Amino acid sequence: MKPSYDSDKVADIHRHLHSHLPPEPALRVKALESLLVEKGLVDPAALDAWIDAYTEEIGPKRGAAVVARSWVDAEFRARLLADAGAAVAEMGFAGQASGHLKAVENTDTVHNLVVCTLCSCYPFAILGMAPAWYKANEYRARAVRDPRGVLAEFGVNPAPDVAVTVWDSTAELRYMVVPQRPSGTDGMDEAALAALVTRNAMIGTDDLKGGV
Amino acid sequence: MDGVHDLGGKQGFGPVDRHGEDEAYHSEADARAYALCVSMRGERSYPIDWFRHVRENIDPVDYLTRPYFDQWLQTAMAMAIDAGDLSMVEVATGKAEGLARIPAPMMPEDVRAMLTIPATFERAGAEPPIFAVGARVRTASHGHPGHTRLPAYARSATGEVIAYRGAHLMPDDGARGIDRAEPLYTVAFARGDLFPEAAGSPDKVHLDLWESYLAPA
Repeated sequence: MKPSYDSDKVADIHRHLHSHLPPEPALRVKALESLLVEKGLVDPAALDAWIDAYTEEIGPKRGAAVVARSWVDAEFRARLLADAGAAVAEMGFAGQASGHLKAVENTDTVHNLVVCTLCSCYPFAILGMAPAWYKANEYRARAVRDPRGVLAEFGVNPAPDVAVTVWDSTAELRYMVVPQRPSGTDGMDEAALAALVTRNAMIGTDDLKGGV
Repeated sequence: MDGVHDLGGKQGFGPVDRHGEDEAYHSEADARAYALCVSMRGERSYPIDWFRHVRENIDPVDYLTRPYFDQWLQTAMAMAIDAGDLSMVEVATGKAEGLARIPAPMMPEDVRAMLTIPATFERAGAEPPIFAVGARVRTASHGHPGHTRLPAYARSATGEVIAYRGAHLMPDDGARGIDRAEPLYTVAFARGDLFPEAAGSPDKVHLDLWESYLAPA
């Protein structure tokens, strides 16, 4: 049936759910899974398909391959910065939340950092599941107000004249940071370069300069 | 909605805890809660902003303390009960009273499609944008009383339009079941214009904001 779109009604439903569901997350999930399967609302094979996809197939290795290519192929880099959704689709990585993907490049004068202060929007198709800290209250609260304090906790310390640019991705645009290519990597091929790119570098909490 | 979900700029939070940051799922329960949530009727059978708004309506203490995908699962349950696909009695007893009246549950081939075909939120044929790139704009003094994507820290703030992103589905309307697109812009704010302690900083905060959140500065 159709949603009511009634805020007060769903708030009341939440209060009832709170009192009827086991507080322990594992017990809660177990109870609801068996009920939802019995009710015909979910199929167990679909559950496994979702879990397996983000365990084995989709993860930050995709984003790392994109970044490495942008370091060795100037034309690809230009396409990535102009239309990241199309550029990652070229590499076979189109998927959840890649339709309005934007790639933002770090330079000598700009360091980018991505957050979603209102929920935890994240480019799943390119970076996989978000790390717990990205979804945590601390990161969401502090990234816009105290980005340099947050970055310092990750071992990243932009110079005072470098503009830290925080992208609060509260619409359907999703952002990935293109970190600067580390020095001393001139002779490396694309695969070797991809192995240097961390998930955190593509969120902005690593600058690949050996911090932490 | 002035909820606890609107966390940006709130003070008193401590260091970022990086524990377990390289695991895709933080526990078996976490993985299964995620899968249950995304398997329920499909993310695309309702407006994404209705999902977000239902999560915002979780009790504030639960919102700030329960695990992330546990909250998603509770949100999916609340949506199913709200829509009449499941009853509170069934949740309380753990026993289904007959099958849900839905066409069929999501199957692995449906999952595959969702994992490989990006959703689009841009709509053609909407009104042309009012603001040009480079325009100075001021944000509204308050968001929509229901769901809105104008964060509280960026209310009544002045910034500069740095990009026009096309006409995107308006979230305040989507959470009320209305499918309407509106010009979307990326607006750059000086961090020092949002937070007094950052005065003089070269840092920026970039936000994607819909046209009706903005007025000429």
